[in-house]
Amino acid sequence: MQKIKKIINNMNLQKVRFVIQLFSFILFVYGGYFAIDLGSKLPIFACPYNGEAAGACYLIPFQHQLSMPAQILLGGAGIAVITGLLGFLFWFIFLNKGWCGYVCPFGTLQDWLTYLRKSMGIRYSTYSQSQFEKLSKVKYIFLVIVILFPLLMGVGLLGGEWSAAFCQMCPARIISPTLNGDFSQWTIDFSTKTAMVLTTLGILFSGLFFVGSFVKKRFFCFFCPMSALHYIFSKFSIVQLRKEGSKCTRCGDCYAVCDMQIKDIADNVTDVNILRDDCILCLKCVAACPEEDALHFDILNFRAFSSTKEGFEKRMGIKN
Amino acid sequence: MTKHSIETPKEKQNRHKAMEAINTINTMKDEFKNPIAAMDAFYELYEDVYCKQKALHEDAIKVGTMCIQIPSEIIYAFDAVPIRLCNGFYTDDEIGSDLLPQKACPLVKATVGHFASGNFSDKPHFVYSPTTCDQKTKAGATIEGFGYEVIDVDFPRMKESEISREYFRQSIKEFTVDLSRRIGKKLTRKRLKNAVHKIGYAQSLYHKLCEYRKKEHVTISGNDMFFITNAFFFDKIDSWTEKTQRVLEELKQREKENITVAAKVSPRIVYTGSPPIFPNYKIPMLIEQSDAVIVADETCSSNRMFNDMVAVDEWNIYGMLDSIADKYLKACTCPIFTKNDDRIRRIIDLVKTYSADGVIYQAFAGCTVYELEQRSVLEAMEKAGIPILYLESDYSPSQGGQLSTRVEAFIESLKMKKRKQG
Repeated sequence: MQKIKKIINNMNLQKVRFVIQLFSFILFVYGGYFAIDLGSKLPIFACPYNGEAAGACYLIPFQHQLSMPAQILLGGAGIAVITGLLGFLFWFIFLNKGWCGYVCPFGTLQDWLTYLRKSMGIRYSTYSQSQFEKLSKVKYIFLVIVILFPLLMGVGLLGGEWSAAFCQMCPARIISPTLNGDFSQWTIDFSTKTAMVLTTLGILFSGLFFVGSFVKKRFFCFFCPMSALHYIFSKFSIVQLRKEGSKCTRCGDCYAVCDMQIKDIADNVTDVNILRDDCILCLKCVAACPEEDALHFDILNFRAFSSTKEGFEKRMGIKN
Repeated sequence: MTKHSIETPKEKQNRHKAMEAINTINTMKDEFKNPIAAMDAFYELYEDVYCKQKALHEDAIKVGTMCIQIPSEIIYAFDAVPIRLCNGFYTDDEIGSDLLPQKACPLVKATVGHFASGNFSDKPHFVYSPTTCDQKTKAGATIEGFGYEVIDVDFPRMKESEISREYFRQSIKEFTVDLSRRIGKKLTRKRLKNAVHKIGYAQSLYHKLCEYRKKEHVTISGNDMFFITNAFFFDKIDSWTEKTQRVLEELKQREKENITVAAKVSPRIVYTGSPPIFPNYKIPMLIEQSDAVIVADETCSSNRMFNDMVAVDEWNIYGMLDSIADKYLKACTCPIFTKNDDRIRRIIDLVKTYSADGVIYQAFAGCTVYELEQRSVLEAMEKAGIPILYLESDYSPSQGGQLSTRVEAFIESLKMKKRKQG
């Protein structure tokens, strides 16, 4: 047992993660070719506009269900919303935000753009603290759009052209099919004014996605409404990122490697649950922490991956 | 006919310093039980440098540093040698007393005195002085008066804020550019990476040594640890690594044979406060001569130098420089900072992980920041139920009687407590 623990704590996280991400990417972008269908309640941007996705992003049925006429929604259909949410939660509780850091094909794509930048010897950009604080709220605005716009449709305040408004803006709708050679989403819908604006935004966001993720690590995740939805339920997950403040020297190593620039991971020494709304649970912070057990990834109350000195030294390439 | 000559002031200083040095070395060699054979290499190093004035880095460019916050990684990356100039000699302290206020810190006085005498075995080509405590910050100008080039390096006094982080990252970049210009070399990614790894390896050795101090049977004394860590100020890094590896091998053997430096009832002490710097090991020696053992310390001449390691995400020059800057600022528990909960947390954590029985907090008379922080640390220890003794001392060889009474009484009380608990 002790031995297995040591092997895990000493692992090369970057490699392990790369393999898992590659596998998930193939599954969720090309899984259709293998006739895999994991349903439509997935807590990741596996976009069904790509015909070969092995499942669908939960935000799609979520928006559709909420847009039902109010009297139907308040009647029996409300149950469908609840069961949908339960379906989403069923997947979510197993990995928490690990869905973002390990499974989401859209996240993986950003990491690959990061590899590309790295291989070109270009340095990443960062936000200043005040930019970070402002931008970090954008995802909640998108989440409000996801929830509120369909409800407004239901009571008749918004017309049918607002259907799945977020999807119309979402870069995953445009980029995911592209990965399968389908470029048909790279168009602007001129049928109505609303559709035109929304789809134009979509194209704009897609362009931004490539440019942004090239210069900034996990550029899109800051704005992702799925990430915001995750955070609401993150406490109910069986996996957690925890910190023992007494062991933390606040050296800032974890912050230095954090793709999402989460400051609390280094500076907060009072909270045990250190998972923040921007976190993608990639566990790079645990891998970069040189203090024994100061940061640990827990499955229920079992420490599945802990920070250790030995693991740190191995991963940083310090010869032994 | 024998030739008589009058001793020059420089020779006289060297003779006095050699006496101080050999006194400390000999006490170490003779007065403690179960000495570590591999430590002889370290004692020899101190004897060579401080008694025989042997130069260790004749051909290298020597970069003097006035404080711990000047990153050695960057200096090594330019193939230069960092020499930390914090000084522990009473002889130099006396020279410095004429140049600084009477109530100034002995460490700063000794450092300034050292420059005033110009008596170096490895004379630094230029000196970087971070703006840490008031006395060191101001000492730079005095030192410059003796014909040395002193370059001030911006260092913030607050470490919680994001501004400080940005500020020190910028400061380190400017330090790097300045150093590159002076040395006439360009910093390369590969060299900096190697230097980060080299220091990281030295740190990993320190941590391995500390593992032996966590155990029930302590195989290495706190004073020997101070000798080892203090040698990192001036020794050749590869030679330091080799010597330390040999000590580690011997400790492994000693553990098997159950050779310890302390008895079972010997109280285990965490040492904190103003840094003990060779040959001023007055208090640490007093502690261990009174049958206690220092199992850990929270000082800038030892633990603070080695404890925290640099982590880098993308190994490009700017990525590394930022990570280095963060480590030297954010992890630092120096009392110059406005608030210093980190230091208190560190001490409590050391007491827990090293199963210590008490803390001894020593401040140099005149080391204002440590004197100021004494109150908050004492309060915190009381709250945590950890016995603590606060001492004030200086570099003078007298004063021993009163200090030893207090240290012995504290250790005796810890022992009584330990006996009662069985």
